[in-house]
Amino acid sequence: MPARIDIAFRLNGVGKRASVAPETSALEMLREVIGLTGTKYGCGEGECGACTILVDGVTINACLMFAADCDGRDVMTIEGVNATPRGEALRRAFVEHGAVQCGFCTPGIMVQAWHLLESNPHADQATIQRGIEGNLCRCTGYKKIIEAVAAAEAVERGQTPVEQSREVQRG
Amino acid sequence: MTIERYCAPRTLDEALEILRAGPVSPFAGGTDLMPQSQAGRVRLAPVLMNLRRIEGMGGIAENDGVVRIGALTTMTQLMDSAVVRERLNILWQACDHFASDQLRNAGTLGGNICNASPAGDTLVPLLVLDARVELAQKPNGRIETRKLPLAEFLLGPGRTTRAPQELLSAIEIPLPAEGFYGAFFKLGTRPALDISAISIGLGALHDDGCLRSVRIAFGAVAPTAIRAARAEAELEGRLLDQDVIDAAVQAADTEIHPISDLRASGWYRREMVCNMLRRMLEDARSH
Amino acid sequence: MAELRAKTSPQGSDPARGSLIGKRIPKMDAPDKASGRTRYIHDINLPGQLHAKILRSSERHAKIVSIDTRAAKALPGVHAVITAADVPWQRPIGVAKDHLPLKTDRVRSLRDEIAAVAADSVEIAEEALGLIRVDYAPLPVLTDPVAALAPDAPRIHPAPQGADGGPSLKPGLPVAYTGKPDNVAMVMEYAQGDVAAGEAGSALVVEDVFRLHYVTHCCLGVSGVIAEFDPSGNLLLYSNTQVPFLHKREFAELLDIDPGRVRIIQPPIGGGFGSKLDIYPFEPIAIFLAKITGRPVKLVFTREEEFLASPTRQPVLLKLRSGCTKDGVLTFREVETLHDNGAYTSWGATTPFVMMQTVSSLYRVPHCRYRTRAVYTNNPYAGSFRGYGNLQATFAVEAHMDRLAEALGIDPLEFRLKNAQDPGEVTPQGMHFKTCGLKDCLRTAAERGDFLRKHAANRARWSDGDPVKRGVGMASMLHVGGGAKIYPSDGCGTILKIDDFAHVTLITGASEIGQGSETVLAQLVCEELGLPLSAVTVVNNDTDITPWDVGVHASRTTFIAGNSAIGAARKAKDKILALASSKCGDAAEALDLAEGCVVKKATGERVFELAKLIRSLHFSDKAELVMTTHYYEPPSVHQDKQFKGDVSAAYAWATQVCEVEVDTRTGIVRLVKVTGAHDVGRVLNRLGIEGQIEGGIVMGQGYALTENLMVEDGWVRNPNFRDYKLVTAPEIPEIDVSFIETMDGEGPQGAKGVGEAPAICIAAAVANAIYNATGVRLTSLPFTPERVYRALHGAAQPLEWNVPQ
Repeated sequence: MPARIDIAFRLNGVGKRASVAPETSALEMLREVIGLTGTKYGCGEGECGACTILVDGVTINACLMFAADCDGRDVMTIEGVNATPRGEALRRAFVEHGAVQCGFCTPGIMVQAWHLLESNPHADQATIQRGIEGNLCRCTGYKKIIEAVAAAEAVERGQTPVEQSREVQRG
Repeated sequence: MTIERYCAPRTLDEALEILRAGPVSPFAGGTDLMPQSQAGRVRLAPVLMNLRRIEGMGGIAENDGVVRIGALTTMTQLMDSAVVRERLNILWQACDHFASDQLRNAGTLGGNICNASPAGDTLVPLLVLDARVELAQKPNGRIETRKLPLAEFLLGPGRTTRAPQELLSAIEIPLPAEGFYGAFFKLGTRPALDISAISIGLGALHDDGCLRSVRIAFGAVAPTAIRAARAEAELEGRLLDQDVIDAAVQAADTEIHPISDLRASGWYRREMVCNMLRRMLEDARSH
Repeated sequence: MAELRAKTSPQGSDPARGSLIGKRIPKMDAPDKASGRTRYIHDINLPGQLHAKILRSSERHAKIVSIDTRAAKALPGVHAVITAADVPWQRPIGVAKDHLPLKTDRVRSLRDEIAAVAADSVEIAEEALGLIRVDYAPLPVLTDPVAALAPDAPRIHPAPQGADGGPSLKPGLPVAYTGKPDNVAMVMEYAQGDVAAGEAGSALVVEDVFRLHYVTHCCLGVSGVIAEFDPSGNLLLYSNTQVPFLHKREFAELLDIDPGRVRIIQPPIGGGFGSKLDIYPFEPIAIFLAKITGRPVKLVFTREEEFLASPTRQPVLLKLRSGCTKDGVLTFREVETLHDNGAYTSWGATTPFVMMQTVSSLYRVPHCRYRTRAVYTNNPYAGSFRGYGNLQATFAVEAHMDRLAEALGIDPLEFRLKNAQDPGEVTPQGMHFKTCGLKDCLRTAAERGDFLRKHAANRARWSDGDPVKRGVGMASMLHVGGGAKIYPSDGCGTILKIDDFAHVTLITGASEIGQGSETVLAQLVCEELGLPLSAVTVVNNDTDITPWDVGVHASRTTFIAGNSAIGAARKAKDKILALASSKCGDAAEALDLAEGCVVKKATGERVFELAKLIRSLHFSDKAELVMTTHYYEPPSVHQDKQFKGDVSAAYAWATQVCEVEVDTRTGIVRLVKVTGAHDVGRVLNRLGIEGQIEGGIVMGQGYALTENLMVEDGWVRNPNFRDYKLVTAPEIPEIDVSFIETMDGEGPQGAKGVGEAPAICIAAAVANAIYNATGVRLTSLPFTPERVYRALHGAAQPLEWNVPQ
């Protein structure tokens, strides 16, 4: 009988229990066991950043983390990032600045950008570029993503308020 | 790949007991083990041991001119450390070229060393810094440690002198003298997220136009990251003029054994070692 | 990276009217996507669903001697293990119908599908794959397309042997049944004028050989499909296809059922770029498993599988000869290419269709001959990819133009201007350029990129001793911008309804693949109906609901689906204004729709609130709804057998100037800046079009500098992002884009399609820039550090055209 490990951790601020196989990745656990699908599988090798999550306040590739290693730790996914003021500012900036095309890389980049601004509130353009170097995007050419992160950063500093979208978004 | 047991010991003692008992796949960041095992390139042992919870195996401390870095220290923690940035800057530079923020947050120094990739980013600066590794085991109910130079620890791609029952517990680096000059070069088109085709580390003390305590290391041009003793000897204590640089580059050329693989041909690697070592020495001269 | 400075054309939008045209409109799907709420195919799980995995060949070319699936079938949790023997009714797929989803007697490339498993979990399915035993008898491996033409080359598609051991040729049947007597999969030839006469009149002739490499789409969302049959045998597919209606029919043919019984739902997709225009074996295989198990079956690739078994851009060896007069007027052009088809034929083999347009018509060339042979090998097979052969053709043509200019002693800009097309031109190939901004593109990009000054200054630095060189290069392109009539119809249907609250549901055949089509379509409808974007819902993802469309390809959606949506909206507007007219007495022509109301055109005075007016129609004794349909068929023609005809309703043009830095000590080329000028007809959604162009430029950067699917002797050496290098955020160039608004008469609000255009020029412009920096001409892509270093240090092997006739 293969081993199962019972773990307990905080997920997006709420206590969570799960039973996982030892070889299961945090990504599989989040998506297939818990059902939070905002974290994406892009490569399974830590090369694309689509599965970026926060663990104890720093970002990691969920595909490279053993789920069992979540035990006792504080995990935040895109679903949790969304609910924060910084997450909201980023989301608005990503929408307004056209940083989203197919959108598959977007949640991972949102989480990475959130962490970048958390640890470096005055990130300049070069810092933003380096900050998201572990996140691949095939659609946008990154330019609008970089602009969006910079805009969200500016909002946090209270410099230029992000314009409210004139158009009410669907959904 | 049936794992019978997963464990996350809290103490080194406990971890060494588990190691002694039988085949174990230890991991820290998991950034190498996870993808390798999922792709079937590595067969996991029946016991999977998470080292990350071991207390006292992280942290960076300076004592009596030696910097001790716990094996569980992540690349990000290294980069955040004042002593690394100011006194071991060549290591800081290598960390800056290491993968991505996400991988720097997860990957540990101990893991990068034990993975023993010929292209391992931290190995070249650690060789330049004369780093020693500390290995611990518990053969007879007592923890025993041994320390050896990193150069002796590395045997080949993925191979080290670590015995199955041993853990790499710490890395010790003698603080270089004040004014130590260290430069790291990694060939690539990206700042990071790249396996280096070649890397070069250069460390030395400037002394009136000469270099002293010269240390040169290369990555990805031999089965392990290597020191280049002959090139160092050509430079040691000599006035750093064009002739000396030429001699050092020629010596380095004899010390490397680059292979051709999908990242570069052996010919190109050799050219790059020579060109870039030359450039680094010229930079050092004007420093 | 500076601010993107886009020129605002005087012909741009009229802000006084509150028009949305030309504004920066955020994508409607962006909030969901940015919050991780969007459900891609990977995120969908149906009750009772099984997970499928495919066993692929471990040999490049071999006979299948036996397959033993007994152990796999016995594994608990396995519901079905199938091989070709289990689906004797399977039919060939692909553009040439030259392969079966599950291979029968032989495998022809590493990716070949041999068996498949449906199980309770992915893990069990994978474990079962490991239990399947396949015995192969290896066959000679053919991976060099030149060698494939040799008379004694191994045959990739020999006639299958009949029961008596002899050939079982069945004339009139697909290649998969009949085999092919040689390795030539497809030949495409085109000619105009008299090349010999053109050559005789040339003062100068230049010949070049170019080699283009394998790259692949790298959609961040890997391929996947979910197939489910209902008890009556109706098939429901959750699919990432870019051509739902064509595939609906193809799947029905595969299953020998009425197409009406196939329904395709398209969840949002994690990138398309042309990768999803053909049916690939994994899709029928999932369908077979669903049919056999009676359960929904989900099949999703791993990233490694995505690299091994999804299509590539077609690798090409290309010889190009052109001549010109001493005044720099092009006299003739002759192109021959060898396409490595791989083991099977997908859309990659048909890219000459686009390549010959660039060869014949980017510049005025009186005499022209073009020939492509696509040959079978044991390599991976190539499909369609953004630009569809035009990256390959433009790389060759535009590098060659610089060579001609240099031989003539004319600067590259002047030489191009001398030969560039003008509006009104009808080319010998039959393309009619009703609008053409090429000369404006050339001048604008050159001026904003400071091309002439830098070009001269960089050359003067060739031997100044500095190991780091700067270079600037330009390239232009022509691409279809008003659809492409490669099928008898290039149309798109729209159903539009306006409900009692004046909310519009726009039901379009055109799929959204991340490019922002649903937003631009909504915008066009709002423009007609005077409504805000929030008043529109777009439905575009279900073949049981949406009207027919050819599919998302050929940069056609904004143009074709846009015109279709406008047509439907105008019909609705006509109906509304006629009603309003009957109620208020003003002529319908004197009324308009604005800000949710019927207004007087002259004064803007509000006459009726739109919602109220519609309710009055609905709940009157007439009891009518405002619901319209429109089918738009562009005024283009299906080309004849000689590839002549005006295939698109409009043509897009662009010039890009690339600036590079070349480190001669390492061969590392850094793309510093791209200055682009694009004839886009008209900017509809500025945010969206900038995104398309920036993304395309960076994709072109990858094609030129970093991306390389290394296929060596049929093995894929780098099926991962570690060694298949996409451009990352710190590597992107400064981007400066100007929009040339030529206001195309047929385009929706004057716009042309632009989706593919931005990726096309980069490789050629970078090659020209490297030459300008160093004096060394690179003719093989990509310009990776080692290749560039070798070329700079005389260690590169020159390319030769050694292809047998």
